[in-house]
Amino acid sequence: MKRRDLLKAGGVAGILAAAQFPLIRGALAQDRYAKYRGQTVVMSVPAHSHYDAMTKILPDFTAETGIKVELDKIAMNRMKDKQLLEMAKPQGDYDLACYIVMWKTEYVKKDLIVPLEPFFQNPALADPNYDMGDIIKGYLEVQGLVGGPKTYLPGPGARLYGLPYGSETSILAYRKDIFEKHGFKPPQTYGELQKLLAPLREKSGIGALSSRGQAGHQCVHAWLLHLNPLGGQVFDENWNPVFNSPEGVAALKILKEIVDTGPVGVAGYAQGDMINAFLQGQSAMYLDAILIMGLVNDPAKSKIVGQVGYALHPKGVRYASQSGGLGLAIPKNAKNKDAAFLLLQWLTSKAADIKVTQAGGNASRMSTLNNPAILKQFPDFEILKEQLKYVEPDWRPIIAEWDEINIQALGVGVSEALTGKKSPEEGLNSVMPKVTDIMKRGGYLKG
Amino acid sequence: MAMTPAPHSSARTAWFFILPAAIIMLAAGLYPVISAIRLGFYDWSMGTPWAQARWTGWTSFQIVFGDPAVWRSLWTTLKFAAVSVSAEMFLGVALALALEGNIRGMAFFRTLFILPMMVAPIAVGLTWRYLFDAQFGPINALLAVFGVAAKGWLADETLAFAAIIVSDIWQWTPFVFIMVIAGLASIDSSVLEAARIDGARWWTLTRRVKLPMIAHVLAITLVMRLIDAFRVLEVIYVLTFGGPGDSTEVLSMYIYKTAFIGQKLGAASAISVLLLAVVMFLTWLALRMSNPLADGENGQ
Repeated sequence: MKRRDLLKAGGVAGILAAAQFPLIRGALAQDRYAKYRGQTVVMSVPAHSHYDAMTKILPDFTAETGIKVELDKIAMNRMKDKQLLEMAKPQGDYDLACYIVMWKTEYVKKDLIVPLEPFFQNPALADPNYDMGDIIKGYLEVQGLVGGPKTYLPGPGARLYGLPYGSETSILAYRKDIFEKHGFKPPQTYGELQKLLAPLREKSGIGALSSRGQAGHQCVHAWLLHLNPLGGQVFDENWNPVFNSPEGVAALKILKEIVDTGPVGVAGYAQGDMINAFLQGQSAMYLDAILIMGLVNDPAKSKIVGQVGYALHPKGVRYASQSGGLGLAIPKNAKNKDAAFLLLQWLTSKAADIKVTQAGGNASRMSTLNNPAILKQFPDFEILKEQLKYVEPDWRPIIAEWDEINIQALGVGVSEALTGKKSPEEGLNSVMPKVTDIMKRGGYLKG
Repeated sequence: MAMTPAPHSSARTAWFFILPAAIIMLAAGLYPVISAIRLGFYDWSMGTPWAQARWTGWTSFQIVFGDPAVWRSLWTTLKFAAVSVSAEMFLGVALALALEGNIRGMAFFRTLFILPMMVAPIAVGLTWRYLFDAQFGPINALLAVFGVAAKGWLADETLAFAAIIVSDIWQWTPFVFIMVIAGLASIDSSVLEAARIDGARWWTLTRRVKLPMIAHVLAITLVMRLIDAFRVLEVIYVLTFGGPGDSTEVLSMYIYKTAFIGQKLGAASAISVLLLAVVMFLTWLALRMSNPLADGENGQ
């Protein structure tokens, strides 16, 4: 045996041994980080409960890897402007950027973020134990893939540009104490939900269901929550707007009933107001993102600790819960791309996912949701696991034009229906020409 | 024999001293305006290289001027500016007249009254959002004391419009107050004394002597407030984001949405040019009433 063969054999044996023995594996991981020790990864993150939880575990990353992390935390609704300006420069300040799912196609279309496969295929950077298949499928596909069918769905042509971190679906939360006191059962269908609203408000003396309602993105989000289970869509297969279909109108009528029987002022509520109304005991139900699960039992923020139960997002003609939330991507003009990838990989690893969940963040991995210690701490995750089966990947059209449609067209029509200025039919019909124009301008429709 | 400097030499010296300031003013003032007008002729989206910007000629201007949403938001802006600036001028002048004398403790009150002006607009928006909150806001709590049912201030078109006006009046009345009180302090006391000897009472003294003598200050204050009222964005962004519907969508909010949400920088620039034209017209109108830069008026 020649010396080279011996070394080769030794190397292979070493990697195999490393897989078997955590100590050696740890040493290899240390090597992965050694080159980047002392570098600083700058992250653009929103003021959001998941990223608050992340902040608590970041010191572990720095201690483990020697890579420092600097956060630029700003309000969620101002994040995109700043990111676009930063990412358009020859070299930007951000190495890792948190993005809302709606921005992914626009960022790719503008060539602002890089695909992640080259990093995962680089043995010097990739963690062999990462286990991509363990990441919640619905989250990974919706948050990370671009280039597939309709440009944003999984399928041929789709490439991975980001990883879910703070992704979420919708769930129904209800006040167990109020429901038990008045003999109500959590609604399983939209029919039951509709019948429950008025009596629940009357008997409980508080709003029946908390909801978003502010003009723009907020009220459209609330409407989409009901549109999908009722079988409606924003566009048909050929990109023709069909949101004023009977299903679209029915969803808006239900939302109007929710607003009318909800806490006072729902038509002006953004997400924070809506969450606060539920946490402060001003509504008996909540139907929105699962981040509520990390907030209800925090006595500093909640007056309803221990009084909340969960149920599946009610069924309309089908189960279809929200898909969306936040993810992380590496800007093309990042200074420290490799170090940023190492942080991204570490944050979304099995161990760190458990840590961030324990700190009040959203789980991104099935292994976290199946972890006995986590289930003991959060027994309600059993219902979340069930809900995740119904995540709708095509919950909203994640095309580059969506922001404009969402905020400047639908956001006006839906809002005007909620305040009673227009009927639900009129509200949706009134913005049809504007949405059609936007789709023509984007090249989706001829004209 | 001493040389007498030629007249054109002193003019040259004057230019020499004025030129640096003039260049800076031109660069700081004109360059952004010219850039905005130029951008109006292109279709450009943020995050893409300028080289990818597409020349569209007058198209953006044509689309913008034919867009009913632009005229609707301009009308909302005019209403907002008319109501809020009128109220601010009236309250600011009234407060200044009430607090102009050497009354004990007035220094404290003057300081107190100008505090809102120093608060950052985003903080003002957040503060008023809390005050107007339907569930937890002190305004509804106060109404409840008098048996009035809780109102969704930011969820109703009329109430939301009133809310943005109230917050603007709260923040900017102090500016009018401080300008007017400075103007009143500069009035020659012998003029006031003469008027009093002639038998003028408080109302006559105010209407016939004080207000005409500070007309220039009032005009400049009005112009500055009008310009600011047309540019207001942050407070409305936080309070209502232009809603419910588009009831509080002032022109600057519409420009913001067109630029940063619609990603139509060219169209947003075209609307900005419209906004600039409207503000310039109103400024010209206000200065026609009393122009402090004109010579020989009011003996000054």
